[in-house]
Amino acid sequence: MEWKHKNLIDLDCWEKEEILHLIDQAGNMEDLLNRPIKKVPALRGKLIVNLFFEPSTRTRVSFELAEKMLSADVVNWSASGSSTAKGETLRDTAWTLESMGADAIVVRHGAVGAASYLQRKLKHAAVFNAGDGAHAHPTQALLDIYTASKHYSSLEGLRIAIVGDIVHSRVARSNMIGFRTMGCDVVVSGPKTLMPPELDYYGVRYFKDPREAVKGANIVYLLRIQRERQEQGLFPSLDEYFKLFGADEELISLAEKDALIMHPGPINRRVEIDSLVADGPQSVILEQVRSGVAVRMALLYLCLGGAR
Amino acid sequence: MESILLTNCKVYDGKELLDGEKHILIEDGKIAKIAAEKPSVSENLKIYNLKGLIVCPGFIDIHAHLRDPGQEWREDILSGARAAARGGYTTIVAMPNTDPPVDNPFLVRYVIEKGRSSGGARVLPAGTVSKNREGCVMAEMGKMVEEGAVFFTDDGSPVKNSSLLQKALLYSSHLDVRIMEHPEDNELSKGGQVNYGWCSSISGLKGNPPSSEVVDIKKCVALAKETGGAIHFTHVSTKEGIEEIKRAKSEGLPITCDVTPHHLTLDETMVVKSGFDATYKVNPPLRNKEDVEALWQAIADGVVDAIATDHAPYHMDEKDLPFQEAAFGIASLECAIAAVLNEWSSRGKICPLERLLSLWTSNPAGLLPRQWSDLGVIKEGAPADLTVLDLDKNKQVKVEEWASKARLTPWEDASLKGWPVMTFLEGKVLFCDTDRRC
Repeated sequence: MEWKHKNLIDLDCWEKEEILHLIDQAGNMEDLLNRPIKKVPALRGKLIVNLFFEPSTRTRVSFELAEKMLSADVVNWSASGSSTAKGETLRDTAWTLESMGADAIVVRHGAVGAASYLQRKLKHAAVFNAGDGAHAHPTQALLDIYTASKHYSSLEGLRIAIVGDIVHSRVARSNMIGFRTMGCDVVVSGPKTLMPPELDYYGVRYFKDPREAVKGANIVYLLRIQRERQEQGLFPSLDEYFKLFGADEELISLAEKDALIMHPGPINRRVEIDSLVADGPQSVILEQVRSGVAVRMALLYLCLGGAR
Repeated sequence: MESILLTNCKVYDGKELLDGEKHILIEDGKIAKIAAEKPSVSENLKIYNLKGLIVCPGFIDIHAHLRDPGQEWREDILSGARAAARGGYTTIVAMPNTDPPVDNPFLVRYVIEKGRSSGGARVLPAGTVSKNREGCVMAEMGKMVEEGAVFFTDDGSPVKNSSLLQKALLYSSHLDVRIMEHPEDNELSKGGQVNYGWCSSISGLKGNPPSSEVVDIKKCVALAKETGGAIHFTHVSTKEGIEEIKRAKSEGLPITCDVTPHHLTLDETMVVKSGFDATYKVNPPLRNKEDVEALWQAIADGVVDAIATDHAPYHMDEKDLPFQEAAFGIASLECAIAAVLNEWSSRGKICPLERLLSLWTSNPAGLLPRQWSDLGVIKEGAPADLTVLDLDKNKQVKVEEWASKARLTPWEDASLKGWPVMTFLEGKVLFCDTDRRC
């Protein structure tokens, strides 16, 4: 298929066929990763900058590995110890990097709208959103869809229950869009203080009771609960959260027999997920991490390389 | 002083559109004559043929941030007053949330004097309700009135202490100057960046809920009822807020309100559709389409007393940032009237033109102290503060042409229909964007 995207800000402008195509490509990339010599020259001579304003380990490393496997030149630019610490604005940093010849910028930023802002400000370089505030984290959604696709021949009609802190979660937002685009029945649960007030836009249903949400689900997706949410008074204690919404074996037993357990990581054991579930046979949490490299390779390849 | 004759114009006199075409003679800064027949005139006269245009009392904006003293990189009294004149206003009220705040008679005097030498619109100062705008101690309201303050407001925020507001309402009851409340409950809106609901859900930004506005309005209405003091609610943005005000008005309480051009013409979807362009970031936030509809309905129903810009200029470096990091505020003085006229037409002229015009003229004039009541009318003997409208003029907004220091506005490049083309302040031409000089 003819690939039309140069950037990835969010999945809301992607069609199902495009996601399927990317997943196909990611499968090829994963085959590559299993070879003794992993590197291919697809992006040789391309300069990619990983511009990370928030601490991130897995996303940054995953992008970096993907870039290196494709033979791109990689520069890691982190906010601390750089010109940002000296007060340089995002705009000036981006223009500086573009002047140095960056072909693409992978950006993680705490402010909603940072990635689309960069896209507006840059003349040539492509922008890949590695997370902007609580708004979007589209490559996480793509790797989650890819992971799920390895276990189900089609995602059409599958039920996915996302449980936890939806309102503060860029992962949840991008996944609600992504899994709905794939034709899934997406349901969410969690305390009402952690829910966005409007879910119709996403075509998603809310269940007060996580057991109702998880019942019959093919995928149970848990979200990280940040401790500061409790300090903000959104729920009384982490212990109570676990008691009411935590994924233990009893809750998971309500899902389909072979339901997948997913989590974007890093996990909080005994807050949103019990160790028996996180480390149990249905958990694909580590598989998600592994998928990240292949999916990001496919994304960079399609947007920057061979297909364009 | 040079005399001016405006010929063949339609006239809105602050109450109604007068029948037929009129000729207006301006002498010594005052309206000397309004006549159906062209008066015989001497040669030393500037004549403008305003056929097809509407001459109105000079437009009044009761809510503009001129950032002076203390934040002159954003705007100052000169640039703001000139921007106002170019935007069709002849009188603007400068908000006191400056640095330091206008909380004493000396700064009131400073704003007036600097406005006088601006070559722009007349600048009338608002003073704060509380000293240093902190919500603890009452400012010297009486002295500020003597120097010319026309409103009291802690705008930028609500009056933080209900008990202080109650006392201020009682204390100021003999001063003939209203208290203007920025209706917001700071606890409910804390951290809010966009409208609570659709926009906050989709963006991941913290929502500022309508309840924040409504709770404060309810509280203030209760205080107005108890004290008999008058409260003006500025930049009302929600359907529920309007309903509260409507109810209070129907009870006969001394409650008035204004709405802004941006809440009348923009809504929360634009935040998302623009890819989080921070020019749409403002407090109160852009609400949903139903709220916009309710504000127009409130205009049609006579619940709204004024359209006020809440012109809130920032330096580009404070606005041209990712949405979540940018400052709150929309700069609009130089396109606000056009934006509203354009929206009014595209909504099928939901109310009579006279109603709309009254919200820029006679109605806001009525909210000012009595000495300014002539500002909202055209009559013989009144000061010749005039705004001339061309309802058919199409023009694109180009912020680079502005006198304001703001360089970002949500209407940039928008083609709007209906523009002010001339302003006169006490008979002097402040702004002329038309080729009607004979």
